Amino acid sequence: MRPPAIFESNESEILLREPLTGFRRVNTMIIETFRKNLALAVLAAIFVLSPLTFKSAAGAVDSLSDADKLCLGCHGYEGMTKELTDGKKLSLHIKGEAFAESVHGAMGCASCHAAIDLKTHPQKTQIIADSRKYSVAMTKVCAGCHAEAVKQNETSVHAAPLPGGRLLAPVCTDCHGSHAIRSKTAYNTCAGCHQAVMNNHEKWLPNAGLHLGVVSCAACHAPMALRMVDLRLYDSTTKTWVVEKQDPPQFEKMARAADKDGNGLDAVELRKLMALINRDPAAPQKSLRGRIELRTDIEAHELTGKAKAIKDCAKCHQQGAEPFQNVTVSIVSADGKPLRYKAQNEVLGSVLSGDSLREFYAVGGTRNGLLDILLVLAVLGGLSVPIGHQILKRIIMNELKRNAQTRAPAAPEDQGRA
Amino acid sequence: MQRLYVHPLPVRIWHMINAAGFVVMLFTGTQIRYVGLIDLMSFGTAVSVHNWTGMILIGNYFIWLLFYLFTDKIRVYHPELSPTKHFRNSFRQMQYYGYGIFKGSPNPHQVSAFDKFNPMQSMMYQVVMFLLMPLLAVTGVLLWNVQGFYGAVLFFGGVRVVDTVHVLLYIFFAFFITFHVYMGALGHTTTAHYKAMFVTGYEESDEVHGREDGPKP
Repeated sequence: MRPPAIFESNESEILLREPLTGFRRVNTMIIETFRKNLALAVLAAIFVLSPLTFKSAAGAVDSLSDADKLCLGCHGYEGMTKELTDGKKLSLHIKGEAFAESVHGAMGCASCHAAIDLKTHPQKTQIIADSRKYSVAMTKVCAGCHAEAVKQNETSVHAAPLPGGRLLAPVCTDCHGSHAIRSKTAYNTCAGCHQAVMNNHEKWLPNAGLHLGVVSCAACHAPMALRMVDLRLYDSTTKTWVVEKQDPPQFEKMARAADKDGNGLDAVELRKLMALINRDPAAPQKSLRGRIELRTDIEAHELTGKAKAIKDCAKCHQQGAEPFQNVTVSIVSADGKPLRYKAQNEVLGSVLSGDSLREFYAVGGTRNGLLDILLVLAVLGGLSVPIGHQILKRIIMNELKRNAQTRAPAAPEDQGRA
Repeated sequence: MQRLYVHPLPVRIWHMINAAGFVVMLFTGTQIRYVGLIDLMSFGTAVSVHNWTGMILIGNYFIWLLFYLFTDKIRVYHPELSPTKHFRNSFRQMQYYGYGIFKGSPNPHQVSAFDKFNPMQSMMYQVVMFLLMPLLAVTGVLLWNVQGFYGAVLFFGGVRVVDTVHVLLYIFFAFFITFHVYMGALGHTTTAHYKAMFVTGYEESDEVHGREDGPKP
């Protein structure tokens, strides 16, 4: 069937040619109105349905306050941008779900954006010249709660270029993000900018790959900080860190129960804890992977340049080294932070932890004392062979001489007298 | 006294490199493990020298292996399969070293080109060359690049197991090197075996004709 042909006859009417019935006059106002109504309906649908685009199945955004939801009412739009004076566009889009799930989700938008007054926002527009300048200026807000970390960072190699006007120097948000801030360790953070890190270390560091996987960047690049060993539960089948999924959390309870005298898990107690964690033979067996980290996260901000970074192997690779004096056993919690429990430092080198801790060893630094005794015995044993053999030689030669003398005939002058 | 050519040149070269290499490995290995107790060189230097010398010794091992695999001299490494014979001969050898040697008795084992090891030496060298040195080399290579060989490291029980095996072997060789060097001084003269192994290749034999087929029954 051929579609009806449309003949424009006047402004408000059109003729539709219809098969069988001929022409029909149709009021264009109706069509115009219909088209307008359709457009409005589509807009309304987008307006109404758009919250669904950033609402997760778990409803993370639901956990935000009403005030925050109001902000997201506009800032939740993906295309929301602001034109800057330099002509570039700054995205004003905030992923609500990511913010809700971040460590700041509970604090709300106003905790950092206190300068925004809803009486004048968004009517009164802020003039932003440069996106980078704006980001750097916003990080002044962090010091409000994180004064210590900001102070540590001020003398770091990262903050050094800033006073000179080099705005590309890393600020808080470059490592931690701005709205989707989650517990971040230096492992994940640094390589994002420092991409040549592996090649650079391979030039001088033996087992560079192993070091980068086991030692946090800040452990060497924040030389003033104190270090520790964290033995973290690892699932070698899925090749991921074990996450505490139980509610209520079980790990700390189990560790506390295993630590009979409450002074930290010793080698035997650690073995018992691992046996308890791995009690189900059908489940993937968990192991402990050790990492050298800083004792407090805040100290990770006092980063120095390459020249001052620790390059002396003896800092770790000797008996009694500082990093091995503090040991914890940990599991990753649901929000990404480690849940630690204290362990005694003997677990690192003890024979009794040989089974529970297979994958952490620092040459010389976590060595077993029994093997040192064995070495001394071996060297002494080696020396005792020549010494003992020579003594035996003296004894036997003397004995043989004595036997030969008693068997020998009497001296000639005696015989003459007889 | 008859002079018999028992140490062919490839064997002498192999032994010289091995001897020098082992001394270097022992010193550097001790420095690596005992920073703070000894200070012969920096940890980094010790690791570097240890790695390079280790690789040379692994190559050297293959010189030894290929020489013996492709010549008839492999017979010197044939094990004595009869336990009674082996025990009897070993005991006789121990008696010689503990007493007979001081009396001036002849060595119960006569060296020849195809039978240069006495029964105790024979067993010791088989264990050292076919078991201990390969283990030492393999564990060393795994420790040289733990992450690269992580699958193998885990297969053997983790890095602590691999390192403990390596250290136990180090301890054995720390004993062995003194023992071995001293035993070398127990020839006809103090320097006879050293001259034979490092310089000439010729050992002196008490027999007028060298016995080609093993010690006297």
